Amino acid sequence: MDVFSSLMDGFATALTPMNFLYAVIGVLLGTAVGVLPGLGPAMTVALLLPVTYALEPTSAFIMFAGIYYGGMYGGSTTSILLNTPGESSSVVTAIEGNKMAKAGRAAQALATAAIGSFVAGTIGTALLAVCAPIVVKFAVSLGSPSYFAIMVLALLAVTAVLGSSRLRGFAALGLGLAIGLVGIDSVTGQRRLTFGQPLLADGLDIVVVAVAIFAVGEALWVAAHLRRNPLQVIPVGRPWMGKKDWKRSWKPWLRGTAFGFPFGALPAGGAEIPTFLSYVTEKRLSKHPEEFGHGAIEGVAGPEAANNAAAAGTMTPLLALGLPTNATAAVMLAAFTSYGIQPGPQLFASQGPLVWALIASLFIGNFLLLLINLPLAPLWAKLLQLPRPYLYAGILFFATLGAYSVNLQAFDLVILLALGALGFMMRRFGLPVLPLILGVILGPRIEGQLRKTLQLSAGDPAGLWSEPIAVGIYILIALILLWPLLFKLYRRNRPAATPAGIPVTSGSSAPRDATGSHSHSSRSGGEPSDGDGDG
Amino acid sequence: MSSSPTLASRLKGRSELGVALLLGAAGVLVLVDAIALVTPYSQSDPVGPKTLPYLVAGLLIVCAIMLAVNVLRGGQGEAEGGEDVDLTHPADWKTVLPLVGAFVANILLIDWAGWVISGTVLFWGSAWALGSRHYIRDGIIALALSVLTFYGFYLGLGIPLPAGLLEGVL
Amino acid sequence: MTIVVGYVPTPEGEAAFDQAIKEARKAQSKLVVINSSRGDALVDKRYAGETEIEGIDQRLGKEGIEHIILQPVRGHDAAIEVLEAAEAHQADLIVIGLRRRTPVGKLIMGSTSQRILLEADCPVLAVKAG
Repeated sequence: MDVFSSLMDGFATALTPMNFLYAVIGVLLGTAVGVLPGLGPAMTVALLLPVTYALEPTSAFIMFAGIYYGGMYGGSTTSILLNTPGESSSVVTAIEGNKMAKAGRAAQALATAAIGSFVAGTIGTALLAVCAPIVVKFAVSLGSPSYFAIMVLALLAVTAVLGSSRLRGFAALGLGLAIGLVGIDSVTGQRRLTFGQPLLADGLDIVVVAVAIFAVGEALWVAAHLRRNPLQVIPVGRPWMGKKDWKRSWKPWLRGTAFGFPFGALPAGGAEIPTFLSYVTEKRLSKHPEEFGHGAIEGVAGPEAANNAAAAGTMTPLLALGLPTNATAAVMLAAFTSYGIQPGPQLFASQGPLVWALIASLFIGNFLLLLINLPLAPLWAKLLQLPRPYLYAGILFFATLGAYSVNLQAFDLVILLALGALGFMMRRFGLPVLPLILGVILGPRIEGQLRKTLQLSAGDPAGLWSEPIAVGIYILIALILLWPLLFKLYRRNRPAATPAGIPVTSGSSAPRDATGSHSHSSRSGGEPSDGDGDG
Repeated sequence: MSSSPTLASRLKGRSELGVALLLGAAGVLVLVDAIALVTPYSQSDPVGPKTLPYLVAGLLIVCAIMLAVNVLRGGQGEAEGGEDVDLTHPADWKTVLPLVGAFVANILLIDWAGWVISGTVLFWGSAWALGSRHYIRDGIIALALSVLTFYGFYLGLGIPLPAGLLEGVL
Repeated sequence: MTIVVGYVPTPEGEAAFDQAIKEARKAQSKLVVINSSRGDALVDKRYAGETEIEGIDQRLGKEGIEHIILQPVRGHDAAIEVLEAAEAHQADLIVIGLRRRTPVGKLIMGSTSQRILLEADCPVLAVKAG
């Protein structure tokens, strides 16, 4: 009952009036940014990083966690009411959700999304509370070689699996690692990439980099391609569900949770794949397959549960290993660093009260989100009337403020603009942002582990694979890197398989096989050209 | 890719070569910087500060070459979509450039004129660049935001933003 | 003869529209319905949806009034759109709805109707709701 008593202590910390207040602020902000176009949880947490200078770590992380969960809830509202999914994780929700809304069942769609998110978030957080200590117990026995391997895996997995072009992913990773190099080398005191500029000696502050890439780059990019035609929002009353809706929703919620949590916990698993898998599964298992494509409630319940469970899953490697698996987690890791807290398996030992308060606040946040989302959905939809000039001017305003407040130097704003331009360019030419951010954050830590490993082995490279776990991970890395090649071979041997992109329609004779090929095509289907990443 | 590419699409493909160029330049920069580091071999740090820069430089240069080849063979990066992004029309520089202008104005003004003034200029200028024409309303919002954040940061976070010209007034 | 009416899906807008129909019937004139948006928000409640526009179209068709429905989204204020439409169609009359505004609100937001009243080249008929 160790977990239980720690968790109870966590609740005691999280429910102090101040921390509770920050939880409320977090979920309100999170829902707002989820609903608002152009703002996501990663950008919001990045913009709020300056609060880490004044706030206690516990309060700050409680607020950040609220923003993260809230963003997932808010994203479903726009998916359903406007058919414009704000986050990539709510793309699938929009398929059936918007159809339901158009058929006059917006209230039920919003209700099943909110309640499903609550169920999945709560189960996911409980799994987090149980799993994280187990992962930690396992992880503390690992040495530098395994650590190095795990971090390399996280970097390569995000780079190679996500996004439509591996080559462009690696290009972004290289840029991120280069940015991470800037500054004084901690071991030898050598200045790297500082160009004699004393202001660069401390390296590029992660707040400045994150704000530049997420906020300034995004604002400039949206400004260049501003949508000019207003959309029609579907009017909605208070969300509610009938008995039949409950009956059709509860199983998809649980199945969605089962898909979401493990994928969220995996490096590069993310929320997109489980939401998609959940959708396909519900479509197959549904007693009303004819409703799919016309607003089936299962198609909203499952994916929405999956993306919230994935959010909880993401927290597991972040807290237990110090490994971020998506953009928001990466920025939260930056916040840990900003407090001088070493993320990793020691976190549970050294910052136990903080971690458990954070986990407890996730339960509280979930409950608050249910409370503010069910009755207030129509109110949140009103946020969509905010004029875009104010929205994006506000993003630039707060981005500047955040970056400037790091050192109170106008020089940081020059870097902010330069990296913002880089972020703009990356969006224009399809370089994914996440590998860059992970490169900046994990690069220096990977280098540290590499040096420690070889120091222990007295310079013998064999030290890198001196632990069995490390060897296993290297095999996994090789598989990930060679995957496109293997997949191509497999396809060449089976030329008669269904062409990618065309889903198998009803009455297929080989349902299991169709699931597999379908999910793969969703990942590789967007690739603009063959021979892209493995030439 | 199937029919002969139009002039516009060919130009678009070319502009992506700039990305390859940037990657290559970054790679060379990292490489040159790493070569210039002088480190005596030390038993306690066999890896040294040069190893990672060499790897990063290699990665960047390889990516630059492969991207150039990929682009010349007709590959194209997918521009990022979004709920507020309409990719059907080309980049609107008439919005972006004034926006950057407002940003630069803020950089030039912030230390001298202070955050309240430079922040107001930034917000008002950005809103104007983005197409808002309610000059008075924009000004009131911009000023209110700047003053609020000035006091919020000073009293709430203990960060003294520069008061600049308004020193003594605020 | 041509009448231009500024339409918004609000009580004032509907009142203006009703009045415009009366005027058009009386004078046997063409009606230009204009409903614009600056297009600067994701959702604009003053921009009529498909069903509303269809309703207007059907009603005018039933009344037997020759009409055009315009929905420009060009980043301009409603006042400019109405004035431009009036000029382009050589309107003889503009019909608009008035809503109650506080002096402060008028100062900050500016007043669409005031601008139309002052700048229009033809008579303007201003209607209040209910």
